[in-house]
Amino acid sequence: MHRLAILFRLAWRNLWRNHRRTLIMLMAVVLGTWAMIFMTALMRGMVTDVVKDGISALPGHVQAHHPDYRDDPSVANLIAVSDAELAARFSAAGFVKWATRVRVPAVITSEYDSRGVTLLGVDPMYERDLTFVDYDEVTGRFLQSADDSGIVIGAKLAETLNTEVGKRIVLMSQNPDNDIADRGFRVIGLFKANIRAFEENYVFAGKITVQKMLGIGDQVSELVVLADDYRNVEAEYNKTVELIDGGGEVKRWFELDPYLGSMLGVMDGFVLVWIIVIFLALSFGLVNTLVMAVFERVREIGLMLALGMRPMNILGQIVVESSLLLAIGLAIGTALSWASVQPIKDGIDISIVSEGLDMWGMSSVLYPELLLSDVILANVVVLLLGFLASLSPAWRAAHYEPIEAITKV
Amino acid sequence: MISHAFLMILLAVAPIPAESAHRDATEIVRDAVNHWRGLSSDSVMTMVIHRADWERSMTMRAWTKGDDRTLVRVLEPRKDRGNGTLTDDENMWTYSPKVNRVIKIPSSMMGQSWMGSDFSNKDVARMDDIIDQYDHTILGVEEVDGVTVYEIQSVPHEDAAVVWGREVLRISEDHVVLTHKFYDQDDELVKMLTSLEIGEMGGRVIAQRQRMGKVDAPDEWTEIKVVTVDYEVELQDSLFTLSNLRNPRD
Repeated sequence: MHRLAILFRLAWRNLWRNHRRTLIMLMAVVLGTWAMIFMTALMRGMVTDVVKDGISALPGHVQAHHPDYRDDPSVANLIAVSDAELAARFSAAGFVKWATRVRVPAVITSEYDSRGVTLLGVDPMYERDLTFVDYDEVTGRFLQSADDSGIVIGAKLAETLNTEVGKRIVLMSQNPDNDIADRGFRVIGLFKANIRAFEENYVFAGKITVQKMLGIGDQVSELVVLADDYRNVEAEYNKTVELIDGGGEVKRWFELDPYLGSMLGVMDGFVLVWIIVIFLALSFGLVNTLVMAVFERVREIGLMLALGMRPMNILGQIVVESSLLLAIGLAIGTALSWASVQPIKDGIDISIVSEGLDMWGMSSVLYPELLLSDVILANVVVLLLGFLASLSPAWRAAHYEPIEAITKV
Repeated sequence: MISHAFLMILLAVAPIPAESAHRDATEIVRDAVNHWRGLSSDSVMTMVIHRADWERSMTMRAWTKGDDRTLVRVLEPRKDRGNGTLTDDENMWTYSPKVNRVIKIPSSMMGQSWMGSDFSNKDVARMDDIIDQYDHTILGVEEVDGVTVYEIQSVPHEDAAVVWGREVLRISEDHVVLTHKFYDQDDELVKMLTSLEIGEMGGRVIAQRQRMGKVDAPDEWTEIKVVTVDYEVELQDSLFTLSNLRNPRD
């Protein structure tokens, strides 16, 4: 213990003997750490944004459908269990955020134009927690009940169709016998969405109204359950499988949208690669600094060896020196990155490039996401690899011949 | 159709308001539709599709039976000969000899143009919607060249699959639709069907030449001219089948 304290003190003093070199190295570590953590936070934010928007388009973390529904989302492929039965089972099981929907392709027609859309027959009470539509932001009003006879469409779609709140439009779809099912609806609200495509693609009507229009009795196309954390949906998945009891095929969101799922996986790998790449650049500087420090002190190390200091202690001293340097750098770097995320944590407006981002399914506000796990990962990786990098100069110093070292000019 | 019968019973028992010496608006519209189609009909007509830079015309033969069955087959021009459209109730199928396929028109295409004209598939398949999906009121009655003409406003029911705000028809006392105007929900006139020639044919006074056109595109219109027509002819049910659409037996 006492020996360690001496090593520590020696290392600390050595560090500040050439304070300019140490400061420069410290700066490099700080900058590197900051870049790792800050950029990772931005990337995380971006990915979470895409994933969340993607999920909000599904929406629902666990979904149940007829086994054929995903290949052919038509009205013929409905969940075998009736809606009432589903409601009884799921509310009894204590699920909070879940809903059933009728979800079919349809054509919406105004006096001037018609467009293909996805018709969502929803119960607004259950839908509130799930949908990407903010009820309070709707121009006009959102649906009020499952048998509301109005329709809520996207602001962009309304523009395309040249219609507005209070006017009627016609929805056409098919009933299970492939015959035409159509009905007039009065537009009661226009919703806005982060993603323009949502405003063009989705229309909301009351579930019961849609069931009547399509002539499908009390059946629905999908059941969705929202989990607390989109990264961990296993509990909800297992319970849904149990409750649906063979009445439909249950999938997790990353199976429903494999692109989103693999994107999240790639991102996790990418963060590690990113951190290692930055560290590699950093490590050359680190090793160089330490090697120089060793070269500068050849005579001194020789003297210490001659006085009886063990090679292991010499090695220890150099390693402690580099670890101290890294620890200080990491502490400052982490603090700096935290400090720089603070002022922008409510989002950075990147709407200048919003059109391009929209194409990627991203919204124009970027929320950096500082994850504790990323911070720990960066710190651990830097400390660990830094330790390994410093072993080489330390090893060299520990193996000098004392006589040669002392007499070295 | 049930609502028809119901309406008629209602009309029969409802006390007629004193001032309403005229006939009921719904009845006038229904009579006009029935008059145009007859219980059955067999006609040859020419359709001219006009655009700013081109025009084409096709001749076709049409059979109708009852309220909801129609078969149309193209005779001229040669390259389109044999193209057919069959409607039964709300369903519609087309057949083209070139691809030798009967295609059921999906609901997504009902709003689209029928054979490239200014009529939509829905206009063709669901002519009788005008009777029972609207509330009809008489706006006015006038005398034109000794003939009584009723102006009728038809407002679609709240849940009717109709996009128009209202439609205004002018129907003469001999059941000929003189004009049919389509207004959007801001009450702007969008498109209009006009009868250009009226005359006797097949034992009835009918609109021999009708033109459908959009108001904001005056040089785009479709004209339908009746060449010959026979009403109340004996037509086999087998005429209105998919197999007959594919393999004409007439």
